[in-house]
Amino acid sequence: MQADYAIIGGGVVGLSIAWGLLTRGKRVIVVDGGDGAFRASRGNFGLVWVQSKGMEQPRYARWSQQSAGIWAEFADTLGDETGHHAALEQKGGYDLHFSEETLQATARKYEALKAELGGDYPYDVLGHNALRKEEPHIGPKVVGAILHHQDGHVNPLRLLMALAAGVRQRGGVVLNGKTVTGVTKPDGFCVRCSDGAEVRAEKLILAAGLGAAALGPMLGFRAPVRPQRGQVLITEKLPKMINRPSLIARQVDEGGIQIGATNEEVGHDDGVTQPGLSGLAAEAIAAYPALARAQLVRSWGALRVLTPDGLPIYQESREMPGAFLVTCHSGITLAAAHARLLPDWLERTDAAPDLEVFSEDRFAVS
Amino acid sequence: MQRSDVVVIGAGPAGMAAAATAAGHGASVTVLDEQSRPGGQIYRDVDRAGPARAAILGRDYLHGARLSGELRAAGITHIDGAEVWAIEGQGRVSYTRRGCAAQIEAGRLILATGALERPMPVPGWTLPGVMTAGAGQILLKQSGVLARRAVLVGCGPLLYLVAAQMVRAGTPPVALIETQTRHDLTGAARHMGGALRGWRHLAKGLRLLAEIRRAGVPRYTGARGIEIEGTDRAQAVICQSGGKTHRIACDTVLLHHGVVPNTQAARSIGVRHRWDAAQHCFAPVLDTWGGAEGAEALIAGDGAGIGGAVVAELSGRIAALRAVEQLGRITEGERDRLAAPLLRARGRERAVRPFLDAAYPPFAEALAPADSTIICRCEEVTAGDIRGYARLGCLGPNQAKAFGRPGMGPCQGRYCGLSVTGLLAQANGQTPDETGYMRVRPPLKPVTLGALAQMDGTGDGAR
Repeated sequence: MQADYAIIGGGVVGLSIAWGLLTRGKRVIVVDGGDGAFRASRGNFGLVWVQSKGMEQPRYARWSQQSAGIWAEFADTLGDETGHHAALEQKGGYDLHFSEETLQATARKYEALKAELGGDYPYDVLGHNALRKEEPHIGPKVVGAILHHQDGHVNPLRLLMALAAGVRQRGGVVLNGKTVTGVTKPDGFCVRCSDGAEVRAEKLILAAGLGAAALGPMLGFRAPVRPQRGQVLITEKLPKMINRPSLIARQVDEGGIQIGATNEEVGHDDGVTQPGLSGLAAEAIAAYPALARAQLVRSWGALRVLTPDGLPIYQESREMPGAFLVTCHSGITLAAAHARLLPDWLERTDAAPDLEVFSEDRFAVS
Repeated sequence: MQRSDVVVIGAGPAGMAAAATAAGHGASVTVLDEQSRPGGQIYRDVDRAGPARAAILGRDYLHGARLSGELRAAGITHIDGAEVWAIEGQGRVSYTRRGCAAQIEAGRLILATGALERPMPVPGWTLPGVMTAGAGQILLKQSGVLARRAVLVGCGPLLYLVAAQMVRAGTPPVALIETQTRHDLTGAARHMGGALRGWRHLAKGLRLLAEIRRAGVPRYTGARGIEIEGTDRAQAVICQSGGKTHRIACDTVLLHHGVVPNTQAARSIGVRHRWDAAQHCFAPVLDTWGGAEGAEALIAGDGAGIGGAVVAELSGRIAALRAVEQLGRITEGERDRLAAPLLRARGRERAVRPFLDAAYPPFAEALAPADSTIICRCEEVTAGDIRGYARLGCLGPNQAKAFGRPGMGPCQGRYCGLSVTGLLAQANGQTPDETGYMRVRPPLKPVTLGALAQMDGTGDGAR
């Protein structure tokens, strides 16, 4: 046996789990795709985000909170050992509103969720003037915001690089440029690649993002994931003008303003469109009018990895015990949980988190 | 939205010729060009050059004046100062002019975006006072300004041309440091058969060299170990030549080791590109007419592969014939009849290329720079950084970008793209084709969010 775990997928999800297992002394081989693969790890918005998650499923809200709560420790450890710091900032984040009705309706939902979470859901509703004190560049059309104190953001590309370095430093093996064609389990798992490479391991984790849709059924998973396109913009580097992130805009550590994101059901098309860019620009300018003068440097389309209800899937295969499916939309937010908490679930220790609600059984046709 | 039968991007020789030919067959044509005057780089500002400057720049330059005159023909709308930042679908082109965004829908799209100078990363190349030879020439063409105490470094016909133009203007360069070796030239001799057919080019090159020699400009050939010295600006060029180390004091360094196709627009619409080993660059995969593989567009001029101004002009006319045939304005038979002499002439002109490509290969040290040399100027990423990303599993430039930002700055990889691919290919033991190229995304040129937002709700796509 070459390894304890073979992980299919070398994005943030796969590498977070790999690094976490390596810190527990496991031997890990990661099988990763090529330079042009669909990679949410390269296209995401970089939020470590709690608010609005799990409005219908408090366990998901709690799981996001758990991860956000240990993110700083995770980032520091990984950063110190690799020298690549992910620039985590957890000073809270906004949900900006352009209408009083939507602001109040959202606040009511948050209040209900807060009760279900035993009061641990720290947020404030800010009117325009209160928000303006926090964010002097906010525009007159913004009526207010919800400031959630558990929210934050990171540089997701530096996280990806830190994980790529950290996994190798801890003795993990990463095979890049591979296309997995099949998995068999004669005696342990054998992952076969199109170039003839074979990887053997005791256990297998499928963390292949959208690739899970094709690979999952071979392992006995439903893996009902679909792509949803998000177009994203980034401006030239600017002096500090946004203090806290929101879903509309955030100022990244290098100075550019990242603006997001569309939600489009267009299959595997990761292109950008002028109407998409113009709509995002208009919204960002409504929130921060000074942005009208900012130069757009780049835009991109990235594909979210979504399940039918938007929640993660953590599932062990019944057909092939020892094979696990891990997929989620929020690979950045959940990176800390995947590195620090998921190994207990994979190893079935006493500290294993209860992830029952994230079983893909919830999608069973009844 | 505006609409034109044919939209041409670029008003260099290929773009001007394509526009004139298409309009000559009754098509409505719009030419979008970044410059304020037609001509492209080679015929920059040609319609405005006075007789004195024309004498310095030479006869070929004036050929451009005739071409730019054709742009004034009926049926052609020439939009100058237009920065194209997105091309979508079957030919919807978004551009900005004087801060305002606009769109035009093309029946047929012809990309004539020309060439870029190959980046020449040598130690010190990012110091103030260092620029490309082409940039030095632009100053001369546009403003009549000449670099004083300049050293020209590199290889290729443009290097001699700029040197000769400086001699004619009464400010000869301090020295010419040439990177090509005698071996390059003898190796190129096997292509002389083709080159003899293109004898005009060679005779021209020899005339330029004679001019440079008469002016007493020192030449250092087969130069190696090139470094630009200086603390806050360029002060000297160091090189080894003829078994000795030379230090040539100067104020300006003009670097040049060839030109490469500007493929940004073509890549942004998904045109397939292939590595051209002879020209050491990527070029789009095209049919005879310039029809691109992977997207609905025709590509003409140096953007289709380096061929020079005459080939560019011919390719522009050939692509335009294909476009008007596709628009139903001429039959395939008429197209073929009209194209036949153009194709023959293009074949003759292209014959000299293998000789030129072999005689003036890119400078090897700039293709494999030392670890400390900066590759991406916008984000200050060094060659050593990029080799480090390869060790972390980056097989191609897109993951490398994510790791260290090369190509993420304002130029979006226009100037470092080939260097990054080259370094990763060397480090991973792969070919440039296997390594691939940075994914090119809008905006092709920076655009303000305000200009983008002005268009909100006017487009016909879904958000």
